[in-house]
Amino acid sequence: MEVRDVHHSYRRHAVLRGVDLDLRPGVLAGIVGENGAGKSTLLKILSGEIGPDLGSVHHSGRFGYCPQSVVLDDSFTVRQHLDFFRCAFGLTDLRRAEEVLETLDCTAYLDRRAGLLSGGTRQKLNLTLALMHDPDVLLLDEPYQGFDWETYLRFWDLATKLRDTGRSVLVVSHLAYDVGRLDELWRLEDGRLHRQEARPEKGAVT
Amino acid sequence: MSMRRHWSLFATASRYALIGHARNRFAMLLVVLYVPVWIALAYVTIPDRPAPFRLRATGEVLSPAGNQLTQITGALNAVTLIAGFMMFAATFTGGAFDRRLAMAGYPRPHLVLAKLAALTLACAAVAAYATAATCVGWSPRQPLVLAAALFCAAMTYGALGVVFGSVLGREVEGMFAILMISILDLALQNPLSSSGSDSAVVRYLPSYGAVQASMSAGFSTASASQGITIQLLWLFGASFAGFLVFRRRTRDALPPVRRTSRPVPGTDPGAAAPGAAAPHVPPQEDAPAPRVRSPRP
Repeated sequence: MEVRDVHHSYRRHAVLRGVDLDLRPGVLAGIVGENGAGKSTLLKILSGEIGPDLGSVHHSGRFGYCPQSVVLDDSFTVRQHLDFFRCAFGLTDLRRAEEVLETLDCTAYLDRRAGLLSGGTRQKLNLTLALMHDPDVLLLDEPYQGFDWETYLRFWDLATKLRDTGRSVLVVSHLAYDVGRLDELWRLEDGRLHRQEARPEKGAVT
Repeated sequence: MSMRRHWSLFATASRYALIGHARNRFAMLLVVLYVPVWIALAYVTIPDRPAPFRLRATGEVLSPAGNQLTQITGALNAVTLIAGFMMFAATFTGGAFDRRLAMAGYPRPHLVLAKLAALTLACAAVAAYATAATCVGWSPRQPLVLAAALFCAAMTYGALGVVFGSVLGREVEGMFAILMISILDLALQNPLSSSGSDSAVVRYLPSYGAVQASMSAGFSTASASQGITIQLLWLFGASFAGFLVFRRRTRDALPPVRRTSRPVPGTDPGAAAPGAAAPHVPPQEDAPAPRVRSPRP
């Protein structure tokens, strides 16, 4: 993913003032920022929901996006969600989706409707839909909300594995909580990204 | 894209659109209960003395029994409200999901056509049901035309429901919008409740064509084609508006057929302000995500 000089304003209020970012293959990166720093706006632009006023964003290869708010249809079961998105992605099978569900320990809910799932399980499905086509570039917005500790650790295992197999993973969060797990860390401040040191000794959780 | 893939995309989206409607329990309850109850109550409670009115379409003066006339406007009222409500609910709650599907590569024409197909099936079923309920008490002269008029009116309101579901921010707003429009629309045209039903203004109401056609169908053997045509115009207009707002909501997912890297969809680099950085287009082999349909080998 290449982001070049992205600017965005809401009326006269400039939120992003020249964001540059290169996300190379095989990198697990994080963006943190305080509330109101412009993370949501940046995410909307990175995911293609809105266009920037200036600048450009390029993704190469398959792109996966896990939105912060869970986007599901409550009337469909987990299996129906997978089937619908299998069709959208043009996949021939659900092997990858099943692997992710297995990793997140979610296979017991395949035939349950999304509206009846717990918050954490809904988030697991939300994440699975972003991962099931094995994207090359993955944008995750607060992806572990509602996860229990066990699932949280599994999530990081999954993200690390994706990185190790050459995918680019970008995790956006309002907390600089797991910086030790990241290869690169950026702070969004004053409408720009500032490179921070990813410090394994402080952030790592084992 | 092969024909088979087109069909598979359309069939899958249609199936899920129908599942979504079927799981809307409240709408199902309205169909099953509200339609016959409304129609039966209109028949029983409204006096059956003749209510003469002039059918604009043909210039004929008809004198149907007041209760039969109210049944027809009641049936129109019921089917339009239900279709409008169903589509509003589906669009309002499904907006973000549709966008996600489109971004994942689901072609928007297939999604829109599938929604239209599901709406068509639902409206056909509701219109047939309402016609059957009407036929229990008396025999409309042209029951098939009556069903067609109800169907077109329901489809029109279904499309309006899509528009409201896309542009209004709160659920209650959409419900009120549909309810208010339906009340204004049908009350102004009902000869029993309004002497204005002969006014020129009513011609521009959203169900004018359906009211004219269904009145012809109920009480005369005159052709209802003019009414149906007017209603079809409303239907096309409302559907087009619905398609436009759907496109706008999911616009970023339009996969341009190019095998270069993509600028953020919805951004026109040419429209950037003077002095803007030129779009940075690195040489790349891969097609961007939404356009790649084959799984990783």
